[in-house]
Amino acid sequence: MGKVMSTAEAVGRFVGDGDFLFIGGYICRPPFAAIHEIIRQKKRDLTVTRSNAADDFDMLIGAGCVKRFISTFISLGLYGLARCYRRSIEKGIPHKIEIEEYTNLSLPLMLMAGALGMPFVPVKDMAGTDLLKISSFMGEKKYKQIDSPFDGSPVLLAPALRPDVAIIHVQQADEEGNAQMWGIGGDCKWGANAAQKVIVSCERIVSRETVGTDPSRTIVPSFKVVAVTEEPFGAHPGYTPGFYDVDLTYGYLYQQASSTAEGFDKFLDEWVYGMKDRAGYTQHFIQRFGYAQFKKLQAKFDYGYPVSYAY
Amino acid sequence: MACCGAREIRDKDLVIVGTGFPTMSANIAKHTHAPGASMMQESGVFDARPARPALSVGDPCLNPGAAMIGGLIEVMGMFLQGGWIDVGFLAGSQVDRFGNINTTVIGNYDSPKSRLPGSGGANPIGALAKRVLIIALHNTRTLAERVDFITTPGYLDGPGARERCGLPAGTGPEVIITNKAVLRFDRDSKEAYLESYHPGSSVEEVVKLTPWKLRVSEAVRETEPPRAEELRVLRKVLDPLGMIRIYEKKGYV
Repeated sequence: MGKVMSTAEAVGRFVGDGDFLFIGGYICRPPFAAIHEIIRQKKRDLTVTRSNAADDFDMLIGAGCVKRFISTFISLGLYGLARCYRRSIEKGIPHKIEIEEYTNLSLPLMLMAGALGMPFVPVKDMAGTDLLKISSFMGEKKYKQIDSPFDGSPVLLAPALRPDVAIIHVQQADEEGNAQMWGIGGDCKWGANAAQKVIVSCERIVSRETVGTDPSRTIVPSFKVVAVTEEPFGAHPGYTPGFYDVDLTYGYLYQQASSTAEGFDKFLDEWVYGMKDRAGYTQHFIQRFGYAQFKKLQAKFDYGYPVSYAY
Repeated sequence: MACCGAREIRDKDLVIVGTGFPTMSANIAKHTHAPGASMMQESGVFDARPARPALSVGDPCLNPGAAMIGGLIEVMGMFLQGGWIDVGFLAGSQVDRFGNINTTVIGNYDSPKSRLPGSGGANPIGALAKRVLIIALHNTRTLAERVDFITTPGYLDGPGARERCGLPAGTGPEVIITNKAVLRFDRDSKEAYLESYHPGSSVEEVVKLTPWKLRVSEAVRETEPPRAEELRVLRKVLDPLGMIRIYEKKGYV
């Protein structure tokens, strides 16, 4: 059976309740099409991770999908603090999630260790700080301190992470799942390769030949990929270099809506539960904000060229 | 404040910057006394040439024209942990007299008064950049004798503490630049003391707004006001959109 399928099918088949998910996207390329589908399918008790989490994680937390969060940071960036996250931690709405905190150096390295099949990785940060005094569900397995066997200096070891599933959004992939990404990378490549299964959401499916015209852009090879879903505009309101810019107006709309639990629920009703899929969402976006606004976000792009730096 | 930050940057420094203030400081330095300085964003970009000021470290405008784009492993791993980054800028919700920074929680960790975003790249930058410049608003809420939670290490609890827990020797915060003053860290006690107060402020005001018994340098002086060239670069070259107004409104300028 082929790997190309709808996002609904990919999430339905490969994301189970209680799974550990890596969700790619560092301000850029958040896989929102899949995030919305996870919320629609009411997945529960997920453990989720990424460096610098943002509105996508905030939404999953607010929608009640998340049990545990291996975190480094979460905010809405320009728009301020992540309000669903804060409501969860401060007031237990919709429920209190468990968090385990690392940093934007240690977490990518822990994912790299997972991808490389190593049990742990030495890290040079976190030493001496209160980050080491707190732990929740990982308990004593959050980190270990040893004396380096080579020079005796104190070294922290952090455990490798091996998510069950990684969901990433990239510019293009072929039907077998060779996934090509360009622009700011964050921890996407390592998070994807650390996982047992990868769901690739992409702006466009291209031929294997097109992939071959610039193979250095491939961050995940086909054999790791279980599903490929074509979702144009799939990372909105984040940006996808070469396809569309970040949507500040919509980002602000989310920030305003999510500042109260009621506003957040209404937002979900309109933009997630009320939509069948991403095509419906895009249509709704155009109806609500106008085609000119949609067009304004789009990059100047030559579809015939395999790689574009336009944004 | 942006000019004070710029003056801490030396020619040929490799600087890791966030958006807004740090970028302005690094760019003022680059356009004035430190043309050889170069910048990196933790998201993976080296030597970006954006057409407009970036709104975040992941802003797509950083892509075209950059010399290199990688990811967190490249910038935070290879370059920062690898020991190549000279200067990092940090801000925090709370900063204490040893330059420790809190961006995790106000109040108790388990039942917080206010939950903040967490470390992100701050801890590794504070741990591993050779010199760290801290930016803070000068009031008794932001500055603290002791932070509620050490997210990012300054000098921890005093001299030798960084080295004892394995952080690289000779690293640590260099200054706390506030909207009122420049505080530098005493070589022996590792405690922040008053080096200069900005025009319009005074030693008395700064001491009053600092919640620990702030020591005042014998050579305390007024901060040199922004030079004409620094202001020209800031307003005309770096900030044609007038983004500095946002910072002026927040009290940072």
